[in-house]
Parts: sequence; C-alpha cells; structure tokens
Amino acid sequence: MSDFWSACLSQFERELPAQQFNTWIKALRCEDEEESPRRLRVLAPNRFVLQWVRERYMNKIETLSREFYGEPVDVSLGLCEALKTDPADSENEVAAEAAPVDMRAAKQSTNRLPISSSSNHLGDPSYDKTRLNPDFTFDTLVTGRANDLARAAAQQVAINPGTSYNPLFVYGGVGLGKTHLIHAIGNAVLMNNPKAKVSYIHAEHYVSDVVRAYQQRSFDAFKNHYRNLDLLLIDDIQFFNGKGRTQEEFFYAFNALVEAKKQIIITCDTYPKDIQGLEDRLISRFDWGLTVQIEPPELEMRVAIIKKKAEASRINVSDDVAFLIAKNLRSNVRELEGALNRVLAFARFHGREINVEVAKEALKDVIGASNRQLTLDLIQKTVADYYKIKVSDMYSHKRTRAIARPRQIAMWLTRELTPHSLPEIGEAFGGRDHTTVMHACRTVVDLRSKDGILNNDLHVLTQTLKG
Amino acid sequence: MALSADPPKCLIQGRLQSARILPEMTAPNSPVRRQLLLKLRPEGAPTLDNFVVGSNDEMLARLRTIGGTDQLYLWGEPGCGRSHLLTAIARSGGDRPVVSVSASDVHDDIDVVTGSILIVDDVDRLSPSGQGALFRAFISARQNGVALLLSGPLPPLQLALREDLRTRIGQMLIFEIRGLSDDQKAEALRHYAEQRGLPMDDAVVRYLLLHGRRDLPSLLTTVDRLDEISLAQQRPPTLPLLRELLTETRQSLANTETKGIL
Repeated sequence: MSDFWSACLSQFERELPAQQFNTWIKALRCEDEEESPRRLRVLAPNRFVLQWVRERYMNKIETLSREFYGEPVDVSLGLCEALKTDPADSENEVAAEAAPVDMRAAKQSTNRLPISSSSNHLGDPSYDKTRLNPDFTFDTLVTGRANDLARAAAQQVAINPGTSYNPLFVYGGVGLGKTHLIHAIGNAVLMNNPKAKVSYIHAEHYVSDVVRAYQQRSFDAFKNHYRNLDLLLIDDIQFFNGKGRTQEEFFYAFNALVEAKKQIIITCDTYPKDIQGLEDRLISRFDWGLTVQIEPPELEMRVAIIKKKAEASRINVSDDVAFLIAKNLRSNVRELEGALNRVLAFARFHGREINVEVAKEALKDVIGASNRQLTLDLIQKTVADYYKIKVSDMYSHKRTRAIARPRQIAMWLTRELTPHSLPEIGEAFGGRDHTTVMHACRTVVDLRSKDGILNNDLHVLTQTLKG
Repeated sequence: MALSADPPKCLIQGRLQSARILPEMTAPNSPVRRQLLLKLRPEGAPTLDNFVVGSNDEMLARLRTIGGTDQLYLWGEPGCGRSHLLTAIARSGGDRPVVSVSASDVHDDIDVVTGSILIVDDVDRLSPSGQGALFRAFISARQNGVALLLSGPLPPLQLALREDLRTRIGQMLIFEIRGLSDDQKAEALRHYAEQRGLPMDDAVVRYLLLHGRRDLPSLLTTVDRLDEISLAQQRPPTLPLLRELLTETRQSLANTETKGIL
C-alpha cells in the first residue's frame, strides 16, 4: 500500500464513525498510475460503493492527495479489475449478450456469500420459522440498472448485518422484486451464520400479530420475539397506515433492535417521506440508515429476467421468445413470471418446442388479445368507417353495390364474432329477414375465396375489431 | 301432489314420465290442456367430466391435477363455463378441504384453512376490503400450503383491482376458457338434451344454432324451455315447436325493449 493511501485511510478512520469507515473506505484499493503528472486510481469493490464514494468522499480524497503530494493530482474512480474479468462466471456473459445488465455486483456476492439453495432447507423447522423463501437468493436475482444500487446495498447489509446501514429501506413499485431482494439478504445472513435469528414478516401479518397480542394479552411474548431477532425483514410497511397501536409497537421494537445493533430491513411502495398515515417519529427513523430505490426494469433487463427464470426451471428460452414476452408485459416482474410460466406449461402440455409461435399462442391466455366485447354497433361503425360510408347506410334500404357489400360484410362479421342470432342480426340491419343475413354470409364466404382484396379487407377488419 | 324435498336419485337421471302430472289430474275445464310441470332440473351437478372440453383440454388437464400450492387463474367471457369449473373443483377437492367463496361476499377476511384449496369466483367484483382479504390470503398461501383457484371475466392485465393484488393474479398460471365452436356447441346441446331425456334430432339442433343466440347459457335455456313446452303441450320437440318458441321469445324480447325505449 502506498504511503499516501495509508495516510488517507488513517485520516478517514479518524474522521468517520467506524461503521461508515468499514463499509465505504476500508474496502477501497488505490493504484498509482503515473508519477508525472501524478495520477491515482481508486478502485471500489462494487458499483454501489463506487457511487457512494464518488458522491461523498471523492472531494476529500482529492484534497488529501493534493496535500500529501503538494501538487495537483488526477484522481479517478473505478471498479476492481478482478471483478470485471472473471471468466468463471459464464452466466454473466449469457446475460450480457442479451442485455447490458450489470452482473459485477452479483459476482461479488458469489465470491463472498455462500449460495443458498432450496434443498438445503428441506424439512428444517427452524428455517420454516423464518418465513423465508429459499428460492429468493442473490443468485436468482437479476441485476440491471433498475436495481443494481439496491442490490449492492443489500449485499453490504448481508455481509455486515447491523453495522453497515440500519435500517435499510427499500422502496419501489409493485412487483419489482423488493421481496425477493430482502429474502435474499435473509438467506445470505443465514448461510453465513446458521444460528442467526432471522424473521421475515409482511406488514399485514405484523398488524394481525399485534391484534392477536392485544386480544390474548400476550404483549410480553410478542415483544420478546421481535426484540430477540438478529435480522428483521418487514415487507410493505405502507400497510401500517393509520394503525396507531401497531406503529407504537413497531417503534419500540425498532429502537430496541437498532440499539442492539440488530439489522432491520424495510420495504415500502414509496419513499419514507411520502408514506401515508405513518407517525413522523417512525418516518424520521427510516431515514437513519440508507434508502434505496428499485425501478421498473427496462426491456433488456426483463429479457434477462425471463432467461434467468427459465434457467431455474432448467429450460432454455431463446432470445426471440424472451423478447416477445418482455415486450408484452412491461410494468413488473411478477406478471413477466406469470407469462413465462404459461408459455412453459403450454409447451410442456403440447409436447412442443418453445419457439415464437408457441409463445404467441400461449400468451393469448395471459394478454387476452381477442377480448374486446364486440357489439353490433361497434361492428357497424367500424365497417362503415372502413368503407367510408355512413353508419345509417347499414340499416338503410339502399341496395347499390357500394353500400350493400359493406353491409353484407358487417353482417358476416357479426355472425362470426358475436353470438347474435340471424334474426337479431337482420333486425339490427334495418329490420331485414334472417334469410337476407344468411344470404349475406354465404355471399361473403363465396367471394372471399375469389377476391383477394375483399379477403384482405376481412382480415384487416377482423384484426381491427378484435383489437 | 306430495313431493319429497329430496327426490329419489332416479328422478334426477333423466326425463321421467312419472315426473309429469297425468292429464286427468289437471283442471278439467281448462280450454287447452296444459301439463303442469315439476321443476326438476335433471342434468347432473357440474363436474369436470360433464364440462364440454372444446379446445380447453390443457386447462382441464391442469385442473384435474390441481394440488400443492398451485395457483390458477381462469378467465373468460360470461357463459364460458367458469362457474361450472369452479363448482366442479369445489365439489371434488379430493382429500383436501375446499374453501369456496363468491367475490361479492368477501369483506374482511377469508377464513383460509391450512392445506385447503381456496376458490374465489368473479374477482372483478371484490370490494376494496375484499381485495385486502384476498391479498392477505395470497401472501400467506405458500406458508399455509394453500392452493388458489381464482376466476374472472378478464385477463389479469385488464382487471381493475389493487395493483399489488392484480399483479399477484398475473403471476398465477393463467388460462383463458375458450368458447366452443358451433360443432362443439351442437355436441354439447345433444349431450345436454340426452341427459334430460329429450329426444332432439339434428335438424332441431342445427336450426337452434342458426336462429337462436349462440352463447351456451342461452342455448341451454332454450333447450330447457323447449323441454318444458314439449311436456306441457304434450308435443314432441320438433322443428315447428322450436320455431314457435323462438318467435315467441323474440317477440317478448322486442316488447320489453320497446317498453324500455318508451
């Protein structure tokens, strides 16, 4: 280590609280790049630390280096090279091909955190008590721009529970993977220390626990349970809205845990200041630690997620299929997963290979392409617009070809796309007899086989109507 | 006529002469001799076996093996047979307890039994508190070993529900219940009529499909009506009788519509 860097480290160690020093500064490496002009490169173990250091400590490092060398120094920040080029991690490359998804943070976790797998916990009652889902690990979490900061922060917490940031507050929209992330922390902590007392609880259940404790006058047991934990994961804290007694209990549990340097991790659908119906003293405490956001995944990340989930089921899904699914379900990961499961189930049942055709077919169930409720009026209007005639011509008595043909087409479409009976259709088209409708249908069927333009019109109209 | 509240099983199996009241028992002075009818619905209760499969074979196969902590969502247009399927599963839950609720009846909490199959029909009709209850059922389902079977009229993307609930439905295994083709409907009608002991020949079925409303509930209702009229008027269920029935129905429909407009 260079003299400068030791001096720099000891300076930070003096100025910063031990927790912050250990989390942010200690893991940094420094390389002398050139003597003249003097250039230094500071390397961070992951993107999260990198960003944090850039925002908060970079000026200080620059000032210290200028003072140390007595000349202007060009200090740059980067990621550890070792993390960038590790050939062992081939899945990164798979994902990187599909998407600019950053897996470096993930790699760090695999280097330092044991991998948890569901089979490790089978039939383990003490694990069941944690209410953790063994499938939710850092390993199965796809990282992209939308969640890499949150992930890096979560990994820091998993490595140093209770000492890096307390509480860790994760917020983001519905179905973006907040729960997955905090389960991953719980699983990682348990793998590091199987004796750790970890508990995952959804806020709704916490509320019912308080109610039960209230009814059974068992607050002592309740308090004991929560205050003896090493790691409390509490999901969807927005459900505390307006529940005074719950908030009070949580406030005391929170204080006790933080004081004992036990880790608390909270998720919410919004950032602390914006939570409705929560006491200020709680909200201000949520800001004590670190607040990170998870954003909706962009297309490439959704593709990576699909591939990862399929991989977990040991099934290979090609890029075009993954893109098809990802394009159709944009807003959250949960529905993405539902769609993928549907495609896999469909292919399995019909014994077919998973390709774009199969995926399209299966996705019909998920998306409901032909679901618009079609009414007679809608069909008449659509056809009239298409042929640039008046809607009233649909039920007028004019019989010129330019009007009669569209009318026949509308009748045929109604017959095909709605459950109306022939007499009902006739009635709706100016009180015509049901035999007229039958004739119209026959004419259209007959003509479409000979007339390419008409056939195309029918195709377009059907598509338009089905939406 | 004395009727036991719980008719013997043979009555349910088919159209039985004994279910009719003999003519001499009716009022002797009535101008047209109309048969009085016992309203016995002879068709069996919904089962997976008497659901007309159509192109829903995958869904049906999946339903038959529902177990563990499976989560299935079935959707389809009204009349596609959602309630039939859900009732069938509710009746045949195997060795598992079944909790079956209608969405409009869910208010505060659903009493979910550990290890049960929870069935909720018409999720689109959940009230805000009902949505909260279903949400809680969702988040504790895996822990409690509960399988979920939900249904609604729309795919999850189009359901107007709380986003955290809607996306959880979107994560389930989703099946659209597909409507039947005309041929499949004809088959369903024949089967249904057969169960009622109603001899309906192909011409009648064809006519019905051509001239009646073609959604299955309407079709079945028409068959019910045809059976009733045929029994009441003691005429075989022939084409002319069906024609009369359809004309009558249309006219009464038109009348109500006119009244509506006026």
